[in-house]
Amino acid sequence: MTITKVQVQQAWTIARIEMRRAFLSKRGLWVYLLALFPAVAFFGHGLQMKFMEERWSRNGLTQARVVDSFTKGEKVDEILKRAPNPSFDHEWTNRREDEGDRDDKDRKTQPEEPQRRRAISYYDGQRVIDLRFTNGVLVEKHVRFFRDPTDDRRVFAVIFQFFYLRLAIFFGCLGIFMNLFRGEMLDKTLHFWFLTPVRREVLLAGKYLAGLVASTVIFGGGALLGYAAMLWPNTGVDAQAFIAAAGWSHAFWYAAAATLGCLGYGSVFLAAGLLLKNPIIPAAVILLWESINNFLPAALQKLSVLYYLQSLCPESALIDEQQPLLRLLLAPAAPASKSLAVLGLVLVTALVLWAASRAVTRIEINYSTE
Amino acid sequence: MKGTEVIFEDVSKFYGEVLGVNKVTLHIPPGITSLVGPNGSGKTTLMNLMTGLIHPGRGSITVLGLSPRDPEQLMRVTGYATQFDSAPRWATGMEFVSTGLTLYGYSPTEARDRAWQALEQVGLTEAAGRKVAGYSKGMRQRVRLAQAIAHDPQVLVLDEPLNGLDPLVRAETISLFRRYAAEGRHVILSSHVLQEVDLISDQVILIANGMIVAEGEIRGVRDEMSEHPSQFIIRCRDASRIASLLFCEDHVTEIKMNDDRLGLLVLTRNREEFSRALTRIALAGHVIDGVIPSDESVDALYEYLIGGGRA
Ligand SMILES: Nc1ncnc2c1ncn2[C@@H]1O[C@H](COP(=O)(O)OP(=O)(O)OP(=O)(O)O)[C@@H](O)[C@H]1O
Ligand SMILES: [Mg+2]
Repeated sequence: MTITKVQVQQAWTIARIEMRRAFLSKRGLWVYLLALFPAVAFFGHGLQMKFMEERWSRNGLTQARVVDSFTKGEKVDEILKRAPNPSFDHEWTNRREDEGDRDDKDRKTQPEEPQRRRAISYYDGQRVIDLRFTNGVLVEKHVRFFRDPTDDRRVFAVIFQFFYLRLAIFFGCLGIFMNLFRGEMLDKTLHFWFLTPVRREVLLAGKYLAGLVASTVIFGGGALLGYAAMLWPNTGVDAQAFIAAAGWSHAFWYAAAATLGCLGYGSVFLAAGLLLKNPIIPAAVILLWESINNFLPAALQKLSVLYYLQSLCPESALIDEQQPLLRLLLAPAAPASKSLAVLGLVLVTALVLWAASRAVTRIEINYSTE
Repeated sequence: MKGTEVIFEDVSKFYGEVLGVNKVTLHIPPGITSLVGPNGSGKTTLMNLMTGLIHPGRGSITVLGLSPRDPEQLMRVTGYATQFDSAPRWATGMEFVSTGLTLYGYSPTEARDRAWQALEQVGLTEAAGRKVAGYSKGMRQRVRLAQAIAHDPQVLVLDEPLNGLDPLVRAETISLFRRYAAEGRHVILSSHVLQEVDLISDQVILIANGMIVAEGEIRGVRDEMSEHPSQFIIRCRDASRIASLLFCEDHVTEIKMNDDRLGLLVLTRNREEFSRALTRIALAGHVIDGVIPSDESVDALYEYLIGGGRA
């Protein structure tokens, strides 16, 4: 079959008409909620961070070099001389002994002598340094990262793989692509397309294109927004360095994974909507297939959309090595290289679309006249 | 070779276990052809088959030599106004007709011009900017007709196109069919009432239970038919006034008033005279909401028409 210019124009005309339906369908509002969830969540998290950072740095920052110089045994006055603007300073008197965990005997023998205690915290722009003083002497020093960009990125990777790819894009594409044919069957309007001088395959292509554009804009956009919302509060030097070095490429691969997810799941659900009446059953079957996929032989794994999508994600979602069961559940047995993953996904999509194009030429208008 | 007929060769179509049509062989020449049969006899099935909305279980179909499986070619020469009374919710009458036209390769302005012409032919220009979803039944009937004729097809397939039309619009619509037929095109329409179409048809195909019962020119039986009194139900506001007007017509043999005083049952010996009389009454300003031929038992008609010779 050769593709003519007229057919391309027809497909594009159909895509333009159908895009309106794909973007603005009343049945599809929840798709936007799914797509925007990570962005909203990270934006909320970021706001909270900004708010707390604002509180920590209200008295100004203390240089990292200075806070690193504090050592146990130092006097509080010396410390305050070097770093006069703590973010937090609280003093109280403790009737009990410092090491309150000592046994009763010990405590009884010693007379109760009040102890002056003090907690001072500094903020150097990245870390919070908590200092504890007893009777004016530094006895404890804790350093914690106020915000760890690596942590945020890992959380994003987890949300992206387990929520976004597996649930949001999966069900979003189900909603968008199943609706393309099945929705028109329910509305009894599909015959209008069949009565135009357009090959069924061209109609399929036009509708698929409309769904693809809509889902890519919604979910690719949602992924980018989410990623931006995750990076947004990370103003530290390390974070800036990361953004400059790998941030753009990571953002690109997340958006690419989302887009390819729409490409793959879209074709699967378009075909399912053509072949089957009830969307619940194929959705359940495909969801099951995708989730048990990691246990299947390698050859079968390659027939799943998720297999390729996981290989595209720029950061691993694995928490650490100490959870072998989780690891077994979540890790693709042999991650494909990125270019192979893209190629594999495109091939799977082409195969499914080919099957769909066979189905669409056989489809009959079987809704009744009343 | 490009054919000039719509041809069914031994076509059968089952919906699962349910018979749609059985062993239909038909050669339909240009002109007005009416498919007549009772509800569920297979009229819509035949029309869906020739436009490729459904595919036959066996046998073959060609429309001017084209296969219904090839919409790219077929729909350029065919226009189909379906019985499905559904329209996209978003579309106005204008959009509904012009959207399809862009797929024929017309530019947006050309498509609008053509859509406008088609809407003009069915008298819907005033409502062109309104949403189809808000149209009345008769208006929806007409907008589907406009969509079917907008690309100027050689073969017009119309499923119950006169259903729900008031007498004036009905007359206009019929003259449109005649114009098309006079240009050597096919106009294939369906009805479950023979009287509604026999006068305008060049050929009538009677169908019952999925089988062709009779086929051919109806003129031979028409004279005989006109002796056979026909029943009509007239829906109107002022039934008694219209009854008195009709009573003056000598072809009217009997008039019964409905209990609700909004309808009349009229028996006439001459349907042509009768429809002329109704047009006069409507033009004189009396509101007639609808005229329904009430001899809906086509079975009885078959008995009468073909002497009980049903297969
Ligand atoms: N989608 C379908 N599924 C099952 N049976 C069907 C379907 N469409 C039609 N039929 C059956 O096929 C037979 C012919 O139906 P068809 O719609 O062609 O009749 P029709 O002559 O158009 O009737 P009407 O005058 O009511 O429009 C009927 O028995 C009907 O029940
Ligand atoms: Mg019908």
